[in-house]
Amino acid sequence: MNAFETVAPTDGLSRRRSWLVPALILLLVFAALPALLAGFDRGYFYQIANLALIFVLLSASMHLVTGVAGLLHLGHAAFYGVGAYTAALLTSKLGLGFTVTLPLSGLVAALVAFLVALPTMRLVSIYFAVATLAIGQMLYLVMLNWVDFTKGPNGIIVSKGFELFGVSLSGRLAAYYTVAAVVTLSVVAIGRLSHSYYGNALRSIREDDQCADAMGVSTVRLKMEAFTLSAFFAGVAGSLWAHMTGYISPGDFKFSESILILAMVVVGGLGSLPGAVIGALLLILLPEGLRALGDFRNIMVGLVMFLSILLLPKGLLGEVSALRLVRRQLGAAWRNTGPGTGKGEGIGWR
Amino acid sequence: MTHLLEIRNVSRRFGGVQAVGDVTAHVDEGELVGLIGPNGAGKTTLFNLISGFTPLSGGSVAFAGRTISGLKPNQVARLGISRTFQNLRVFPNMSVFDNVSVGAVGALPQGAFGALFGGFHKGGRNRSAEISRRSWEALEAVGLTHVAAELAANLPYGQRKYLEIARALAMRPRFLILDEPAAGLNDTETRDLAAFIKRLHGQGLTIMLVEHDMTLVMGICQRILVLASGRKIADGAPDAIRSDAAVLEAYLGVDE
Repeated sequence: MNAFETVAPTDGLSRRRSWLVPALILLLVFAALPALLAGFDRGYFYQIANLALIFVLLSASMHLVTGVAGLLHLGHAAFYGVGAYTAALLTSKLGLGFTVTLPLSGLVAALVAFLVALPTMRLVSIYFAVATLAIGQMLYLVMLNWVDFTKGPNGIIVSKGFELFGVSLSGRLAAYYTVAAVVTLSVVAIGRLSHSYYGNALRSIREDDQCADAMGVSTVRLKMEAFTLSAFFAGVAGSLWAHMTGYISPGDFKFSESILILAMVVVGGLGSLPGAVIGALLLILLPEGLRALGDFRNIMVGLVMFLSILLLPKGLLGEVSALRLVRRQLGAAWRNTGPGTGKGEGIGWR
Repeated sequence: MTHLLEIRNVSRRFGGVQAVGDVTAHVDEGELVGLIGPNGAGKTTLFNLISGFTPLSGGSVAFAGRTISGLKPNQVARLGISRTFQNLRVFPNMSVFDNVSVGAVGALPQGAFGALFGGFHKGGRNRSAEISRRSWEALEAVGLTHVAAELAANLPYGQRKYLEIARALAMRPRFLILDEPAAGLNDTETRDLAAFIKRLHGQGLTIMLVEHDMTLVMGICQRILVLASGRKIADGAPDAIRSDAAVLEAYLGVDE
């Protein structure tokens, strides 16, 4: 029975030399780049490298929910914030170290996502986007205004750097390696999720969720999972951020950060993990290179997103046109799917 | 012996419109049944009622001895009822193979855990291999293996029709519902499709199809149900249907 060979489900039909690119990337991240950083030995460069890696993880986690499952998520930064605050509070109040806060940050962010997803997951398209926007704002306001617990706008000082089971990793190079290792592992995990039959089931929801339903895909459950998993990885990124900078405040997790992450995914191309990674690098490194422009740097994000939607409808490597996805979602909000197909029809429930 | 599919006094109202009213019908294992009727007769609604897309206003549907009315479409699908859509619905931004794999993974779910760690244990690997095998078999059945890596959106219309059927077949259904499979096909393509459906039926699959093309329905179906204004007006062999007074009246109208 050799007629049906097993193939990689999503990318092409041949897996020849599939090890080459990952090997080169690993070499770059774990050998060439650290060598370069050590050569320059400037804290600023380490900072940029770590920041870029953290945003690679944020972008990759958003790729899972927006690029693959097609849910327009406008509150991602809030889950990043939940992760960061979990790490900061566990450290400052209970004196726990990174080894413990890393997984807990992910789990708490995932738990919060799961709870808010319960009522919102049945919302259709644009209503879901608005709900995530509201959730993001609510979590942000909690961080800002619950002064007793989160210290509000003063932020929290995270006194402990990176460590692994008590072994300190807070030196510059060690910290870089820690961030790089966690981000790489997480991105590999996200890659496995999105390039699998499970990922294909998520994609089918993005393409046509009713039809996916008819194919036996439990759409509501899978949307929940994608949303929760992406929040888990955002939480992990939050823990990295908290221990890296040593200080967090609500301003790091505002709506504009969610839009920045969304822009990364859109510029890289919806549905493409390499695209999400490249988008993150582009939108972190480009503004840093343009520091001379001062506040005009912030316009860059909007400009890059605008131009990429205009000139590269599918982003750099994407599967779906961002504009078409949004337009379809807007359309679905008031599209008549047949007279009286269900209760509450036309107000965004399914 | 109980019937594979039993539709008992099923009705569905949309506001003031009775789309399907008190329809009782059945399909036996191994049958190839046609469902015809003038436009607006409620054929697609009946399909939607069976597959769980539209909730029933009254009556019940049972499949293989189990009541399925009230289940969600994906639950109905996993029990072995697979369908295609009237207005062709493939997943345009996915490859042909990936499209079909959704059918296979729908019937044989791979969870997030399986995606992450399935490669590390035998059960997970077997599951992936089985999904892949079913997908290839379905593609082979419709003759689309040569375009497996192509994006579904790039396929010509006729091939997309077969892709949709392949995706339904990848679920390994017990009962296949085809909603106007010949719509938009020319005569040659329709003849090929008829031969294909007959071949599927010959392999033991129970099929029900809605079709406007009478030569197709009369040519291949063993039994035909006729709906008009949401009611069943006839149920019988093609020859009997052809000369049935009520059917002629529904299609041609009567002089007053």
